[in-house]
Amino acid sequence: MLAIFKRETKSYFTSMIGYVVIAVILAFIGLYYSANCLIYGTSDFSIILYSTTLVMLFVLPALSMRSFADERRNKTDQLLLTSPVTIPEIVWGKYLAQLVVFAVPMAVACVMPLILTFFGTVSLTSAYATLFAYFLLGASCIAVGTFISVLTENQIIAYLATFGVLLVAYLMESVQSLFTSGNTLAFIVFCIVLAVAAVLIGLVCKSVTIGSGVFCGGAVILILLFQLRPAWLLSAFNRALDALALFNPFETFVGGMFSLSTVVYYLSVIGLFLFLTGQALERRRWN
Amino acid sequence: MIEVSHLTKRYGSHVAVDDISFTVDDGCIYGLLGPNGAGKSTTMNVITGYLSPTSGTVTINGHDIQEEPQAAKACIGYLPELPPLYTDMTVREYLNFVAELKGVKKKAARAADVAKASERAGLQEMQTRLIRNLSKGYRQRVGVAAALLGNPDIIILDEPTVGLDPAQMIEIRSLIHDLGKNHTVILSSHILSEVQTVCDRVLIISGGKLAAQGTPEELAARLAAKGVISATAQGNKDAVLKAAGGVPGLTDIRVTAEKGDEVSFTASSTEGTDLRAALSAALAAAGCPVLSLSSQNLSLEDVFLQLTESDHTADAEAEEQPVDGQMSEPQTATALNTDASEPSSEPEAPGEETAPDEKEGD
Repeated sequence: MLAIFKRETKSYFTSMIGYVVIAVILAFIGLYYSANCLIYGTSDFSIILYSTTLVMLFVLPALSMRSFADERRNKTDQLLLTSPVTIPEIVWGKYLAQLVVFAVPMAVACVMPLILTFFGTVSLTSAYATLFAYFLLGASCIAVGTFISVLTENQIIAYLATFGVLLVAYLMESVQSLFTSGNTLAFIVFCIVLAVAAVLIGLVCKSVTIGSGVFCGGAVILILLFQLRPAWLLSAFNRALDALALFNPFETFVGGMFSLSTVVYYLSVIGLFLFLTGQALERRRWN
Repeated sequence: MIEVSHLTKRYGSHVAVDDISFTVDDGCIYGLLGPNGAGKSTTMNVITGYLSPTSGTVTINGHDIQEEPQAAKACIGYLPELPPLYTDMTVREYLNFVAELKGVKKKAARAADVAKASERAGLQEMQTRLIRNLSKGYRQRVGVAAALLGNPDIIILDEPTVGLDPAQMIEIRSLIHDLGKNHTVILSSHILSEVQTVCDRVLIISGGKLAAQGTPEELAARLAAKGVISATAQGNKDAVLKAAGGVPGLTDIRVTAEKGDEVSFTASSTEGTDLRAALSAALAAAGCPVLSLSSQNLSLEDVFLQLTESDHTADAEAEEQPVDGQMSEPQTATALNTDASEPSSEPEAPGEETAPDEKEGD
C-alpha cells in the first residue's frame, strides 16, 4: 500500500493537476479571507469555508478523475492487480494520496485564523473544528469521485459524472424543499424506485417471477402504508433525500456546533464509497 | 509448478478459453503458441490473477490463485502484452516502485534488485530517462526488468518480442534462455521460430482449446510421420488421380495446379514410408510421365498451421459444399479434413484420419 501511496502522491506533483487543485482551492479561500476577514474585519473564519464549498464541486473531481480511469486506459491496473497486494490496499493507497494533495491547502488555511488573532479575539476552536469538517466533506467528495473513476476508463466522463453527482448533492437541500407536503408524490416516487429495483433484481437473477414477485410484494407494503400511515412515507422520503445531501451536515459546524453525527456521516460516506470502489475493481475481473 | 485444470473463461456468450488443462513443471521454458485471438493472453491473465476464471482452477506452487491470491501472485513475475508502464516516471523510479510493490521492503535490497534486473534487461544507461521518451523496444525491456524484480520462481511473458528489432529479439531470446536456467518461464508467441528455438515444451492453443502439447521435436515428429509428396505428371487429370490413388498408403491427394496437360498434386503418405518410387511407377504404368517428384518434410510451422487452421477450413468447407469435391482451393490444402466426396480417396482413409484426430483431442 505504501508503494502505491508514494507513487500516486508523487505523480500528482509531477503532473500539473496537483498544483492546479491546490492553487484553485487556496485562491478562493484566500479571496474570501481577504475580503471578509482582512478588509471587512469579521472574525468568523467558518463563514469563509462555508462560502467556498462550491469550489469543491469543480476542483475535487479533477483530482479523483484520473485515479482509476487512467490506470485502466493505460493498462497499468494489470501491474497492480497481478502484484501481491490486496484490492483494499490499492484503493486506500490511491485514496490517501488524493487526501494528501487536498490536505496541502487545508494546512495553509490553518494559518489564516492564527493571523486573525493579532487583530482581535477569534474562536480558534470553532475555526479549526469547521476546517476539520471541511476536510471531511472534501474527503467524502473525493471518495465519491474515486468510485466514479473506477467505473469508466475515460477521465473526462469521470470528471463530468462526479461533478454532476456532487451538484445534485449540493442542490439537494433546495430539491428537498419542494417535497415538504404531498404524500401522494412520495408514494409515486417510491413506486418508481420499487419498479426500477424490481427490474434490476429480475435482470440480475434472470427470472421474471422473482422480479414481479419483488414488485408485487413491495407494492402491497407501499399501498398499505399509504392507506394507513401516509405521513411515514413522506418522512421516509425526506430522510432518504437528507442522506443524499452531502453538503448539509457541514452547516452544523459552520453554525458553531461540533456535531458527532456529522463526523460519523462523512466517515460512513467515505467507507461506503471506498468499499464500492473495491467491489467494482473486483467485479471487473469477472467479466 | 503451475497446475491449470479445466480452465474456462467466458466473456458474456463468447468462450475465450474452453476447458484447458495442463501442468507446467519447474525449470522449463514453456511456449504458448497460437494465432491471434486463440486465448493465449486470456489464459495468462487468469494464471496471473488479473482475471477470474469462469470455472476451473489454477494452482501456483500449491497456492490456489482464487483462494490465496497474495501467496500465488508473489511467485509470479508477469509481463503483459502491453507493458504496464507509468510513463511519467523514470526507469529507476518505476523499477523501484515495482520492487516495493512486490514486497522488497529494504531500501538496499531494493536498489540491488533493481540494479540486477536492469543489467539483465540491458537498461543500465537508461536509468534516469523518462519512460515516456523511451522507444518501444526499451519500454519492452523495462517491462521485462519489472517482471524479474522480487526474484519470482515463475516468469510469464506475453509476446515478449513483439515490436522489437531483430537484434533486440535475439537479445531477449538469449535472456529468456538464461532465465530458464533458474526460473520457470512461460512465454506466448505467434512466431514459430521463436518458440522452436527458445522453448523446451510447446502448448498449442487454438480457438480457446489446447490443440497439442509436447517438445517442439515431438510435435514436428507427430505429423512429420505423415510425409507429403508433391508431384507433377503429364496427362489427363482423372487418369493421374486414379493412378496416384491406386498406390497403397497414399492418401489425401489434392490437385494444386493444372496447366495444359500437366497436373500438379500433393499427397500424404503415412508411417514415414517413402512412396515416391511406388508413385512414380504407378504413374508410368498409367501412361502419365512424371515431370517432377519431391517429398516435403513438415516443420513445426506446418504442424501449427494444420492444428490451428482446422477450424477455419472446416467452416470454409461447410460453406463451399456445392463445389463438389474440387480440391484446388488453396484453403483446403490442410491434411486434416479429407472428405468422402474426394473421388480418388482410398478405402484406408478413415484409418488414417484417426491419427491427427487423437492429437487434436489431447
